[in-house]
Amino acid sequence: MSVEIDTRPIWLILLRRAVRPVFFLVLAALFVILVTMPTPVGLTVGGQRAIAIFLLCLVLWITNAVPLAITSLFAIVLVPLLKVLPQKDTYALFGNEAVFFILGAFILAGAVMTSGLSNRIALNIMDRYGRSPRKLLISIFLLAALLSFFMSEHAVAAMLFPIVLEITKGLNLRPGKSNYGKLLFFALAWGCVIGGVGTFLGGARVPLAIGILKETTGGTIDFLDYTIAVLPLVVIMLLAGYFLLTRFFPIDITGVESAHTVLAKRLKNLGKVTYSEYAVGAVLAATITAWIFFGHAFGLASVALTSVVVLFVFRLVRWKDIEEYVNWGIILMYGGAIILGTALDRSGAASWLVSGVVGQWAGSPWMVFAMFSILSILLTEAMSNAAVIAVLLPVSIGMAGRLSMDPAMLTYAIAVPAGLAFMLPMSTPANAIAVGSNFVSVRDMVKGGVIMTVIAVVVFNLVVAFWWPLIGMGY
Amino acid sequence: MKNKVLLVLSTSGTSDEAVDFAVARAKKDGAGLVALYLLESSAAGEVFDTFSAIGFIGEKPSTELSESIMKEYRQRGYEELGKVQIKAMEEGVDFEPLMEEGDFISKVLKLIESTGAYVAVMVKSRKRRPLFKYFSRPLAEEVKERAGCEVVLFTES
Repeated sequence: MSVEIDTRPIWLILLRRAVRPVFFLVLAALFVILVTMPTPVGLTVGGQRAIAIFLLCLVLWITNAVPLAITSLFAIVLVPLLKVLPQKDTYALFGNEAVFFILGAFILAGAVMTSGLSNRIALNIMDRYGRSPRKLLISIFLLAALLSFFMSEHAVAAMLFPIVLEITKGLNLRPGKSNYGKLLFFALAWGCVIGGVGTFLGGARVPLAIGILKETTGGTIDFLDYTIAVLPLVVIMLLAGYFLLTRFFPIDITGVESAHTVLAKRLKNLGKVTYSEYAVGAVLAATITAWIFFGHAFGLASVALTSVVVLFVFRLVRWKDIEEYVNWGIILMYGGAIILGTALDRSGAASWLVSGVVGQWAGSPWMVFAMFSILSILLTEAMSNAAVIAVLLPVSIGMAGRLSMDPAMLTYAIAVPAGLAFMLPMSTPANAIAVGSNFVSVRDMVKGGVIMTVIAVVVFNLVVAFWWPLIGMGY
Repeated sequence: MKNKVLLVLSTSGTSDEAVDFAVARAKKDGAGLVALYLLESSAAGEVFDTFSAIGFIGEKPSTELSESIMKEYRQRGYEELGKVQIKAMEEGVDFEPLMEEGDFISKVLKLIESTGAYVAVMVKSRKRRPLFKYFSRPLAEEVKERAGCEVVLFTES
């Protein structure tokens, strides 16, 4: 047996070991101070405690000191414990439609991946349309975006990564040196990010936002209405992303024949389209149709869960596969976020924050919309997009009431930019794998990401100002 | 007796100049060359964590992703070590390749000790310790300070 001897200086070892306990002790002390300090004028005791829990979760979500789902557990435990909401009401919030919609969407995405359908679609599109370096780049960019319309953008990034990696190897591209290698991984990451905001299915943030909206105001947003409202943003961002990337990293190869050898080999290994692929494809198509036409009447979660049942009735997936493809922490994460948002609203903390802090520098609906969209896009670079929604949405909904704005509009202002994380690898998993490939450096990502973030804020606000009135929406 | 030159390449940094220098130094001193390609386990682990903790992707796709990254790193390691081997053979230098996985500082310090290397040639990447990332020096500089032998640093190429 070998014994590892830590040769670092003793002060460094002690310092490293002390950081975590000290961090949690300081955090606990600050939390106790916030809870026990005299209640500010205009705020209820429940509201004060809700704000303390909110700040605690905010710090933990930003620092990632514990997994995101566990931070949500803090909210779940502390809200009833500190009597911000009754215990029964707190746990009942887990029954929110949004949580079950997210669960159903993740299970559906797991089924699509398990069946091999998504892989086949990806390979076919790249093989058919990517006949030159430029076309291959565009097909990866658009494919990542298009697939992220129908399944979680994270799942799309995970699925496409090995294919793109093999293409770079087939083309003999050198990590860190090849512009084309950078372009391919940027196309993968940014395609997922941009496409992910196109529908409810690209990530769990929009369903979460609608869940909080429903709990606090009773309002909702329909599947199709959302997509129509954000589609111009998606199209413009894809165009902007393509032009920006090809200016920053000019294509430095002339042919992609060897990439097609890789794709052809992979396609051959897949064999003929199976019954399971056809059937899962049909279930997915039927589900999306039902979401669009019957989502309002039947409820998005009911449609999603019906499709999940159908998958199992026809033995298109096995429970074991689904268990491996779905991270059950989502239930805690999103359930906890809804509890936190509702606690802030029902305790009066959100409206107190609005009148006392945020409201001072927000005069007009336009300014409020722009302010929240900028805050959302900046925060999402540093923390999970679901956490951004849990933090900003309750406050923004309070603000909507104050300015007689439709709260659904402010839900868009936060939920859409929360998905547009372009700058850092820790912002979103798709960016993490682009950097993990070693083709894209953090510096490359920040450089392009800053510009994309500015473009995203401007384009989003222009879409709201000029496109939304045409489809009957507005502040 | 001068008998080993240690060349350290890793997933976060390689350099043709470092390879040339290490081979030339070993040849000049009549020493053997030990070339280590270090697979920094944290790289794939970070991606895995981001996917499972932030992306809420299930265990299977996250693990597959992490494995495909490690497989790619290993492949790049073989290619880099292959290049060093060719150079060493051309110069008639004894060559020993190593591929290991782990923490940069502890692995390199341990290897300097176990091989008895009198000089270590390293690539200074931008990578820092996870703790105090923005206030610390590159890992290779830390090794230079703590190693019991001469350390020559090159910047990434």
